[in-house]
Amino acid sequence: MSTVVPTVHIVDDDASFLVATSRLLRASGFVVKTFVSASEFLAQRDVEAAGCAVVDLQMPGLNGLDLQLALGRTRNPMPVIFITGHGNIPMSVRAMREGAEDFLTKTAPKAALLHAIRRALARDAREREERARRREICARFEKLTEREREVLGHVVRGRLNKQIAGDLGIHERTVKLHRTNITTKLVAPSVAELTRLAHEAGLLP
Amino acid sequence: MSWITVVWSMDAAVCFTLAGIYLLVWCKQREGWVHLLFSCSAVAAGVIAGFELASMHAETTAQYGVLLRWAHLPVWVLIVSVVWFVRLYLRAGRPWLAWSVCGLRTLALALNFLFTPNLNYREITSLRHLAWWGGETVSAPVGVPSMWTLVGELGLLLLIIFFVDATITVWRRGDRGRALVLGGSAIAFTTLALGQSALVIWGVIESPFFVSFPYLGIIAAMGYELSSDVLRAAQLTRQLQASEADLRETEQRMELAASAADLGMWVWDIERDDVWMTDKRRALYGFAPSEKLDIERLRNVVHPEDRESVRVAVDNALNTGAEYDTEYRIVLPAGQVRWMSGRGRVEFNREGKPVRMRGVALDITERWHAGQELQQLRQEIAHVSRVSIMGQLASALAHEINQPLGAILRNAEAAELFIRHESPDLNEICAILADIRKDDQRASAVISRMRALLKGHSLDARPIEVGELVGEVAALARVDAATRQVMLETNVSLGLPSVNGDRVHLEQVLLNLILNGMDALNGTTQNDRRVTVGARLDGPQSVQIAVSDTGSGIPADDLARVFEPFFTTKSHGMGMGLPISRTIIEAHGGRLWAENNSGGGATFRFTLRAAKDSGAA
Repeated sequence: MSTVVPTVHIVDDDASFLVATSRLLRASGFVVKTFVSASEFLAQRDVEAAGCAVVDLQMPGLNGLDLQLALGRTRNPMPVIFITGHGNIPMSVRAMREGAEDFLTKTAPKAALLHAIRRALARDAREREERARRREICARFEKLTEREREVLGHVVRGRLNKQIAGDLGIHERTVKLHRTNITTKLVAPSVAELTRLAHEAGLLP
Repeated sequence: MSWITVVWSMDAAVCFTLAGIYLLVWCKQREGWVHLLFSCSAVAAGVIAGFELASMHAETTAQYGVLLRWAHLPVWVLIVSVVWFVRLYLRAGRPWLAWSVCGLRTLALALNFLFTPNLNYREITSLRHLAWWGGETVSAPVGVPSMWTLVGELGLLLLIIFFVDATITVWRRGDRGRALVLGGSAIAFTTLALGQSALVIWGVIESPFFVSFPYLGIIAAMGYELSSDVLRAAQLTRQLQASEADLRETEQRMELAASAADLGMWVWDIERDDVWMTDKRRALYGFAPSEKLDIERLRNVVHPEDRESVRVAVDNALNTGAEYDTEYRIVLPAGQVRWMSGRGRVEFNREGKPVRMRGVALDITERWHAGQELQQLRQEIAHVSRVSIMGQLASALAHEINQPLGAILRNAEAAELFIRHESPDLNEICAILADIRKDDQRASAVISRMRALLKGHSLDARPIEVGELVGEVAALARVDAATRQVMLETNVSLGLPSVNGDRVHLEQVLLNLILNGMDALNGTTQNDRRVTVGARLDGPQSVQIAVSDTGSGIPADDLARVFEPFFTTKSHGMGMGLPISRTIIEAHGGRLWAENNSGGGATFRFTLRAAKDSGAA
């Protein structure tokens, strides 16, 4: 995994607005990439790229909301800020419900736009970190054998070795062996830590 | 038995029979005095026949004298009865004549018993025995006539005059059949009776008295008339039965119509406080079929919230006699609420006191719901049309114009940042400025395009009647006004010329101004929440339409700015309504401007050119 520079992706069919916005954002110190349509963005963006998307809501072809939905289904979604010439309430409600970072008009003050972008970038960094961490934990869990995973299930539910041995029909010493392997592979010294990891990996409700 | 006895007896029998029949009739119907009078006269005629028969067989002059004397009593009864029969039955004959006849005959009767042997003779000298057909012998008087007999004859003469007078009256009245039968026979037979008896008394002819037969004739005529009355009564009864059947038929039809229309009928007897209503309605209201209903019981069916208004409507009808017409809700026993339309009328007696109130109640629940739906629909239409044409236009325009405006803004902001650099990239700044100019042109192109759109082809200008335009738009906005508790008034001068314009566009402008006016009343707590739409002549070729509100008016600084795009004082406004409205009005060759009213609130006025081919409408 390379260190990625957060990039602001601007998607707008209006070339003039696209250029003007990218100028402002570059001058404000952001790394910017521009796309003239939603499909171009989905096809050409760096799938691992960090950052956010500033998207025109009304575009021919795929519109901003379609882009938001498509992005949400990828492994690497990024926060979306909607820009519109003139928005209406139902559209903005829908956009926000889908997790849009903000909803701004094209004539919104610069401060509002920059503030929204900074917030989106911060959120993206947080979410990327979260995603990376979860991926790493999941990788650790991948190393467990089928039996170890079974034993882990009992352990995190707070059952004693003897009980686990009885349940699975194996020797108590074998259970202890499995537990040693689990703590080594998952790098979790205590039951509390094991439970937390299992929770983060989505193995516990 | 001698045939004379038989004939006179039959005469008497006929008289008594008729008397008996009508006496019975009178007994059953005491107010029918004519029947009693007829019976009296018939009895008298029968008795007279008896006296006549007896006198014909009288042996001595003294016997004859006594018989003749007593015969005057039934004659008196007969004459008096017939006189009053005619008065009562024919409602004719002068009263003074009637009284004179009665007076003279009473005098004659008195004299009859005062003098011996009787009224007619001073002395009966002998009896002449006349041989009649069939070997019969009858007695006829021979004697010296008394002068007092003239009193009786004068009475009879007056009686004839009375009959003639009565007959003429009846004839003139148009009842000719009755005049002929009753009047004619009464005159003829009385004349006959008078003539025959006078001739006998004055010794002109040798004959017994035959007055009973003329009297029988009069009785027969009277009986005939009375019986035709009975026939008429029977006919009337038949007609009555027929009309009663008709009435029942009508009632049934009415009931069918009432139940088909779900119409409830009721009658309130005010004095007895008793309410009658159709059986179906009773069942609907949950009253037992035999339950006595009073107005209070009925009032309890009315929805508590509507009781007062119904009471006021009823009181108004009772006090002024105006028609009772009100709408109210009723609560059925199952708790269901129905809307009713009640109409009724009060009947007053001669003293002007209300005695009865009749009315109908129509179930209008469905209609009421339909009305509500219609109102809602109208509301939606008003809303939809507001957001549709004006809204779409505004939305499209805002989007179109915000693109270049946004780009200009961003470029300017970027330029500011570039300039602050230690070594500004002048090429970049030049490019930015070029882009700004380009976008500015783009923005103004959007506006001119819209103006061209409104000015050019899409204007479908036709002559429009101003009153109609105002009326239609007011109707659209009225529901909105009602829900927002705003009074919407229109005030269109009479005889305005039609204006030239695109109906849809002008309706949009007017609706927009009215809705703005109502918006201006938001948050005002004052009582006078009113929007007035006025239209009047403005010079010879122009009509001015003004929309005034009673809101707080427009701050002086904003008066000109309200027509700028995106200028709005409303939280959800787009600031496009007034600029578009002004563009539309200007495209029509008119002007749109705003001013504050001297008494508070604002007025938006616009002018429209009168249609060329239209004079004053």
